[in-house]
Amino acid sequence: MSGKPKVGIFGFTGCGGCQLEILDAEDKLVDLASAVDIVHFTEAITEHSDDYEIALVEGSISTNHDVERIKKIGSIAKIIVAIGACACTGGLNCLKNLYGVEKAKELVYGDKKDWIDAIETRPIDEYVKVDYYARGCPPNRFEILQIVKALILGKKPEIPNYPVCVECKRLGNTCVYDLGMTCMGPIARAGCEARCPSNGSGCEACRGVIDEPNVNAQKDLLAERGLTVEDIMEQFNLYNACKKLV
Amino acid sequence: MLYKILPRDSYQSFVENLIRNFDFIGPKRKDKATHEFTKITSFGELDLSYKKTTIPPAKQILFPSTEEIVEYRREDNSIEFRPVVEHSLKLLFGVHSCDINAINFLDKVFSTDFSDDNYLSKRRNMVIIGTDCEPRETCFCLAMGKEYVTAGFDLFLSELTNRYFVRVATSQGNKLIEKYASGISSAGEKDFKEYNEKIGDFRKKFKLSPDAKSFYDNFDLIYNDEEFWKKVAKNCFSCGSCCLVCPTCFCFNVRDEIELNLKEGKRIREWDSCMIPEYGLVAGGHNFRPTKENRLKQRYQCKLKTFVDKFNTYACVGCGRCIETCLANISIASDIDSVRKEVTV
Ligand code: SF4
Ligand code: SF4
Repeated sequence: MSGKPKVGIFGFTGCGGCQLEILDAEDKLVDLASAVDIVHFTEAITEHSDDYEIALVEGSISTNHDVERIKKIGSIAKIIVAIGACACTGGLNCLKNLYGVEKAKELVYGDKKDWIDAIETRPIDEYVKVDYYARGCPPNRFEILQIVKALILGKKPEIPNYPVCVECKRLGNTCVYDLGMTCMGPIARAGCEARCPSNGSGCEACRGVIDEPNVNAQKDLLAERGLTVEDIMEQFNLYNACKKLV
Repeated sequence: MLYKILPRDSYQSFVENLIRNFDFIGPKRKDKATHEFTKITSFGELDLSYKKTTIPPAKQILFPSTEEIVEYRREDNSIEFRPVVEHSLKLLFGVHSCDINAINFLDKVFSTDFSDDNYLSKRRNMVIIGTDCEPRETCFCLAMGKEYVTAGFDLFLSELTNRYFVRVATSQGNKLIEKYASGISSAGEKDFKEYNEKIGDFRKKFKLSPDAKSFYDNFDLIYNDEEFWKKVAKNCFSCGSCCLVCPTCFCFNVRDEIELNLKEGKRIREWDSCMIPEYGLVAGGHNFRPTKENRLKQRYQCKLKTFVDKFNTYACVGCGRCIETCLANISIASDIDSVRKEVTV
């Protein structure tokens, strides 16, 4: 990439927290602004531009209007980075699909449901090719910066494809299973510095799962610890319902 | 080796003197499930009845899970590198025999073929005082010949009736005991007798007794038996925990962290594991060990065969940490026996 790469930051269905996470990078933000040209940033700047090489995209695709917008981004950007659980796996929004779109619309909007342009929620990679994923809910701001740095350097960003257990061990954490809790850590993708287990609760796989998760072993493990089939489904589906792991 | 006797009455003041005069690292309760080796500031914090710690006592200090090894800075036409080698004097108290044997193994690894300054500088600055332990259900150091340690420590304390039998292995250890302990005397016949009985009783307490020699002898026969390895590795998560908690595992990955100004950065090494798929991945996308059964087989080979040929010792001290940590209930001790059973039917 020659010169300063132009970057657009876009939001779809989600809480907007991922863009705030970038804004939260505070001291690094100045460096980021000097390393790239941010031409579009929904949550932070008012100008809009359709001239960018790198698109950082948060949120999942859940309306027909979203579909049009993401396809347009896909036709402009040379590199797309999905940011946050909603963009990467569909996130919590995918729970809607489990009810069926019509039922979900009715539950939320009652007799106004026909005003709503909602479709089944999908992660963005069902509509465009995603080059890199900065996963998690919220994503790790340092990882987003690391990806941008790697892109500027023309290197492949290093994104963990090992489970959260690795980070727990590197941190010397007591396994939460030994404290009587359950955890998706053995199949959940690391990169969060084992945020939840380090603070005394089980991992919910907000960063999705590793490339080759041992789903059956995870089911066995949860069942062994007394979880019912429904509980197990819930653990798998919370952030990953769109991925249909179970 | 010198053999001395420390009266029970002098024990606490000896330990307190060490706590006062050293960066003293010892076992302390961490939560309801575990203990950890951490900085001790008063005698009461020390809990020598500890069960094995998740992470081995010395590994985190000598070979930290994440360690900066180089810093660099780029100017217009030049680049400046600075090796980062950090160390400070530390005293480790309450280390068990298996874990000291594991340190001896790591010493060899990090000084053979190539000498690793980051490890060795910390090792040279480490005083080690060993203490006795009680075998737990997952312990099998006896079967690996690692239940007793004869070097690698400065002092080793074994509790006898009303006194401690102290093995003094280094002049540094001797200085410590002369300077900080009172009432020290040389061990006599009665002391040796009680000590030997104690060691004898200790050896009778183990529940697991895997036959590592038979694994070594039969490994080649079972090497290509895919069904066997599939069965053994069926529930493996490829999570690497077994390696990361192992006191003898030493593999690491190296990566660069570069600042956004693209001018300065650091090179970091961090614990890696042969059980993680990426470990065998090379440029071009080929993976030498693409399946979990490949990887588990490799781990066992490394532990029970490779280093027997290279260093004439197992790379497993039988501490059982990998067994306790594995959420898939995979056990090196039972798998050693499964290999024997599989080839003898
Ligand atoms: S053997 Fe157990 S601890 Fe080791 S990688 Fe497999 S699941 Fe993880
Ligand atoms: S392989 Fe397992 S039992 Fe052997 S030294 Fe390593 S953690 Fe301990």
